[in-house]
Amino acid sequence: MEPGIQQILMIISFSTLLAAMVLALVRLIRGPQSADMIVALDLIASIVMGYILIYAILADKMVYFDIAIVISLISFMGTVAISIYLKHNR
Amino acid sequence: MKEIIISILLLTGSLFILIAAIGLLRFRDVLSRMHATTKATSFGLLLIVTGVALYFLTVAVFVKAVLVVLFIYLTAPLAAHSISKTTHKSSKRD
Repeated sequence: MEPGIQQILMIISFSTLLAAMVLALVRLIRGPQSADMIVALDLIASIVMGYILIYAILADKMVYFDIAIVISLISFMGTVAISIYLKHNR
Repeated sequence: MKEIIISILLLTGSLFILIAAIGLLRFRDVLSRMHATTKATSFGLLLIVTGVALYFLTVAVFVKAVLVVLFIYLTAPLAAHSISKTTHKSSKRD
């Protein structure tokens, strides 16, 4: 009984993250400025991190925790790189 | 009991990220959109990381969790500052 409840709640939080992903994708496509797109990409990286962390519980493997570290590193690098590129480009 | 705490942490974290996404979609300005996303996302990820670390309950996972949380809370303001500086400079020039 207990694992069933936990899995149902986990699926609910998966779908919440999926809804957040859809909203961020809408902003990514519609964004009037390029800064909107950078912010949306940053949010999408965080959503993917949350996804992988919840999937680590679902798959019962500790290895997925390392992916979160790597994604947070790459997301920070990408955000700063794109914003510095835009600053020097204009 | 442990499952309930973990589920509440995961649900609250995902709800915070959803609130950040709604704010990203609904706000009017770039700066206010950034205001919505940076803080709520950091807090939601903190809750999710805490839930996952409570699920595994080993020392290695706790060290990694502290590392992830520290890194998120160090880098999110830096990224936001970089984006806002770019936006401010480009809006002043227009």
